[in-house]
Amino acid sequence: MSAYIIRRLLQMIPTLLGVMLLVFTLFTLVGGDPSYILAGKHLTADVLANIRAQLGLDKSLPEQFMIFVRQVLTLDFGTSWATQQPVSDIITSRIGPSLTLTGSLLVVDLLVAIPLAATVAYFRGGLTDRIVTIACTVAMSISALVYIIAGQYFLAYKLELFPVRGWSDSFLVNLLVYVPLPLLMGLMVSLGPDIRFYRSFFLEEMNHDYVRTARAKGLSERKVMLKHVLRNAMIPVVTTVMMSLPFMMIGALVLENFYGIPGMGNEVVLAVNKSDFPVIKAVTIYIAIATMVFNLLADLVYKLIDPRVQLK
Amino acid sequence: MTASVHTAPGMAAPVSKSLWALGWQRLKRNKVGFVSLWVVALYLAIAIGGWFNLLGGGWSREIAVPYAPPSWAATAETEQLSSDVTASGGDASAPIVSLAPEDDPIGKELAAARKEAGKYALPEVDKRESLPFGADLRGRDVLEKTLKGTSTSIFVGVFGAVLAILLGTVMGAVSGYFGGRTDDCLTWFYSVFTSVPDMLLLLSFAAVSGRGVTTIIMVMALTSWTGTYRLVRAEYLKLKNREYVQAASAIGASHTRRMFVHILPNISHLLLVQFSLMTVALIKYEAILSFLGFGVGVRQVSLGSMLAEAPTELVQGYWWQMLAVTLAMSVLVTAFSLLVDALRDALDPKVK
Amino acid sequence: MSMKRHVAVALLAIGVGSTLHAADMNKVLHDSFIAPETGFDPAKVSDVYSSSVNENLFDPLLTYDYLARPAKLIPNTVTAMPDISADGKTVTMRIKPGIYFAPDPAFKGKKRELTAADYVYSFKRVADPLVGSPSSYLVRGKFVGLDELVAKAKGGRLDYDTPIEGLKALDRYTLQMKLVEPTPGLKYMLAMPHLSAVAREVIEAYGTNTNAHPVGTGPYMLAQWKPGTHISLVANPNFRKVVFNYTDNTTPVAHRVASEMNGKLMPQIGRIEISVIQEEQPRWLAFRSGQLDLVTVPQPAVRRALILDPKNPWRVALKPELKNKGVQFSRYLESEVTFYPFNMKHPVIGGLSKERIALRRAIAMSFNTRETISDIRRNQAVQVQSLIPANVAGHNPGMRVRHPYDPALANALLDRVGYRIGADGYRTQPDGKPLVIDFVTGPTAIDKQWNEYWQKAFDLIKIRVNFRVMQWNEQQKVIRECSYGMAGGAWLADYPDGDNFVMLLYGKNVGDSNYACYQSPRYDKLYEASQRLPDGPERDKLFDQMDLVASGETPWVYGDTRFKNYLSQRWVRGFVPHPVFNVAWRFIDIQK
Repeated sequence: MSAYIIRRLLQMIPTLLGVMLLVFTLFTLVGGDPSYILAGKHLTADVLANIRAQLGLDKSLPEQFMIFVRQVLTLDFGTSWATQQPVSDIITSRIGPSLTLTGSLLVVDLLVAIPLAATVAYFRGGLTDRIVTIACTVAMSISALVYIIAGQYFLAYKLELFPVRGWSDSFLVNLLVYVPLPLLMGLMVSLGPDIRFYRSFFLEEMNHDYVRTARAKGLSERKVMLKHVLRNAMIPVVTTVMMSLPFMMIGALVLENFYGIPGMGNEVVLAVNKSDFPVIKAVTIYIAIATMVFNLLADLVYKLIDPRVQLK
Repeated sequence: MTASVHTAPGMAAPVSKSLWALGWQRLKRNKVGFVSLWVVALYLAIAIGGWFNLLGGGWSREIAVPYAPPSWAATAETEQLSSDVTASGGDASAPIVSLAPEDDPIGKELAAARKEAGKYALPEVDKRESLPFGADLRGRDVLEKTLKGTSTSIFVGVFGAVLAILLGTVMGAVSGYFGGRTDDCLTWFYSVFTSVPDMLLLLSFAAVSGRGVTTIIMVMALTSWTGTYRLVRAEYLKLKNREYVQAASAIGASHTRRMFVHILPNISHLLLVQFSLMTVALIKYEAILSFLGFGVGVRQVSLGSMLAEAPTELVQGYWWQMLAVTLAMSVLVTAFSLLVDALRDALDPKVK
Repeated sequence: MSMKRHVAVALLAIGVGSTLHAADMNKVLHDSFIAPETGFDPAKVSDVYSSSVNENLFDPLLTYDYLARPAKLIPNTVTAMPDISADGKTVTMRIKPGIYFAPDPAFKGKKRELTAADYVYSFKRVADPLVGSPSSYLVRGKFVGLDELVAKAKGGRLDYDTPIEGLKALDRYTLQMKLVEPTPGLKYMLAMPHLSAVAREVIEAYGTNTNAHPVGTGPYMLAQWKPGTHISLVANPNFRKVVFNYTDNTTPVAHRVASEMNGKLMPQIGRIEISVIQEEQPRWLAFRSGQLDLVTVPQPAVRRALILDPKNPWRVALKPELKNKGVQFSRYLESEVTFYPFNMKHPVIGGLSKERIALRRAIAMSFNTRETISDIRRNQAVQVQSLIPANVAGHNPGMRVRHPYDPALANALLDRVGYRIGADGYRTQPDGKPLVIDFVTGPTAIDKQWNEYWQKAFDLIKIRVNFRVMQWNEQQKVIRECSYGMAGGAWLADYPDGDNFVMLLYGKNVGDSNYACYQSPRYDKLYEASQRLPDGPERDKLFDQMDLVASGETPWVYGDTRFKNYLSQRWVRGFVPHPVFNVAWRFIDIQK
């Protein structure tokens, strides 16, 4: 087991290096030159040269890449080129709001989707199943943009059920006042696909022979469903959720923009538009590391729940 | 390769022949799936019609006043500015100074051209006050725009999916079939791509490439090949040791032949489902791309580029373009998704 | 000098009285920015949003009268307008005693008074190569000895302790400047937030992170900063006593503001909360639902908020629905021009030969600004008619040098000079080579909207255009390097003087603010002559001639000048848009 974990951890090194190469190439060779943003309206050659020297852009590319490597090793990405604030401060201040929204969205989504999915899977082929499945499909077919735009216009502005936008410093206020509307809009987008997705897991389990065997043994329907089907179907649910966790860090860009949530999605777009390379580097590396770690964790959890799985 | 997906019923290995034929029979029995098939077919016809400019070809003509309302919802809500509101500025008393022809470096040419300008005079066009489904900012017919936009979006979705599947299948097949170093190398590439957030990839690609259908398709393919890769690689790992592949190798079939003629037909039903799923996803993805500004070019229209205009219109109370797009898109996506469900059930070898 | 006259009409008087009360910390103003700020070090930032905040945190030497129109300079931290010697090269000012910086740990618990030396330090700092200030153009080449001091630093830290002749504190409160040559525009620069006073010990205490630790003598101080999303300001407890005492009662607006504010202390509002809201829908809806106290009407919401006269953009009224809620409406024509520069060094589109001028002229005549004003600007703009916009010294309201929309004439002109229509329906160059205009543009949905109208213009004159999409900074790069064909540009006045606009076409500004890379001997001669003249009819005449030369040679397509429509909630008092100040927070009050 530990040998496996060590091997997986070692495998992360080349992947991380690849991610670094990809980001570096994308943003150094083809990305924009930030000095033109920092130099303002009246720029002269020596102002530009000064800025470039201060950002380290006058160094050769291999040198710049080595700086990047050092930054990754120390996990210190310096200061933002746009605002000169420490990158670590920016990320810590942005990640909270993103997680508040995506985290609560995930919890509510699971609480609604799993029972519903299990129920409709149990009554598969029946009227309930058909109605729910088709409703999910229709809900999925409407663009997230329509939900966000129209939801704000009608629910917040016309009906005054929610504040139009906003964010505060208090977690509780955010959760109770500012999160509900974007959360609802997020649910409209995510519930459809999730219910359908989880339903397929449950169906898969119910088709297995052991379920028939268990029923044949005379176990109560309740017991079959809860003890066998639910438990086994939870394995793919847990692993897909775990693998989606790293991407919760990046938040939901359009939701954030419309509802005034100071999260990561917003910051990433800002950073790309301003060619704020330190922030881009930091976000990418953190997410890459999180992705790899959570993938590993997902595999380990899989193994824990289902000992038959072979780790190789 | 995609050809083999579509014409598969008539060819390929016997295993799949019966599966495809059986699938078709099962699909015909599924009412929802069959209706969906017809709806999707209708949309495809619209797409092809739009492609050849048979439908929606005149979408760019400015035939109505800006934001002309739908005829069936026209309201006479026009508040008039009361006459006691006076102009709040603008000094009209100063003597006019303008460029005299003798001071103009091209004064003579301009004077000569003025005499010939008549032949280029533009005809006056009467703008309509309302249209069946309203008009947009420039007075273009929303209905025509929706038809043309649907066509573009389907085009983008289908070709994006084809390209992504192509990339994912080739890489996944090579990876799974050869294994070893090749597999390590491609898997490394795969894990690098999946570790970088899609949004960053997308923003950076879009920042450096031009606007237009080609760019969108490229961006889509580059950010969504990974799922297919994983699927195909796993299937090839499983299938490459089957007897019929080994038999093919015994009679001297080349690697390429074994990979694409012997193994591929056996996963073609998976690819068809994958392809349909991806087309649906990409049609929706295009809307987000357009909203972020990475959409189609100046001369083109897509459902996404229309939806990108929605927020500014809704604030002004012009809801018809958003409604038209939402309707067009959700009917298409719903039908396509239900068709995928039906296909998946029909082609599932486990269900007897 | 005429400047001295301004002293007599000082707007803010120092007064004492026991009935006066300072800012009420329970009064909170909610405002928004439409794009993110970058920071609050006056030397380091140049964007509008950062400057809006800095206006309220820091004090430049001079400022503007809040009510006088056109904008009028008045003393700020000095006792009188600058005293300028007869040769125009020596400027002397006296700092008012008793002005204190906002409290900060860097002062170690002591109250820190503003002195002449602070301005000397702050001005030198703008020239410091290590600071890399985007405002260094304001001081470089102007003060005797400053450029030499910068040269000695060789890109390293500037030696602030070496006295220079050009910037001296004669005593604790007396500031003397020696100029390399007379600079009539200096007074405007002394009122810009970039040349405000900072305290040396604060700057040194916070090292490179001065953007997050602004400490000034202004009415507010920074309480919280979440970059790109939220800024909170609170009233500065050390702020000097300034009583609103508006004496100008000539216009209804001035009368209203005077009656609402006179006798109160600056500032009245305890907290200013600013959110960055980039999307238009949430910004507008937030104002409508009372979450924002002030808003400039976003373009898409114009028809929801205002009743317009489609024929006359100057006639407009607030919708009754808003008026009945007590919403207040004020309006101001920006001191700006938008334009589309041609690259005058471009091998296909540049140059001063007749064909090239005709080509550019034809393009200018094919773009229908009236249509874009009506569709995109929702009638909230007027066509640019000359280089210098209204409300700026040197503006001639009778000037009509834009080339009116006339695609038929444009076509005939192109035929005339040899750009013939080829077999494919598009024009070729006179020598038969293909003609494609390289049009540099941005990636946003708004850029695309404009490009649709440009596409239409080029279609009308049968010329191929290629839109080259790039990020804003990359656009700036190709423009400054003169490696583009056409692009979009806008210039918002740094200060309300015509010089700030005519310099946009001066040959020596190529690579800087001369986007068109325009170098015309005729224009440059006129420009250089105008530099030696003070504001007045003689200089205005030169400006008019420059306008005519530029119009003839056509380095730009003239765009529009936008109106800004401000709405404020019923409870906002004393608000009036100002032509130079970005925000009015320190001048207004809230009474719910």
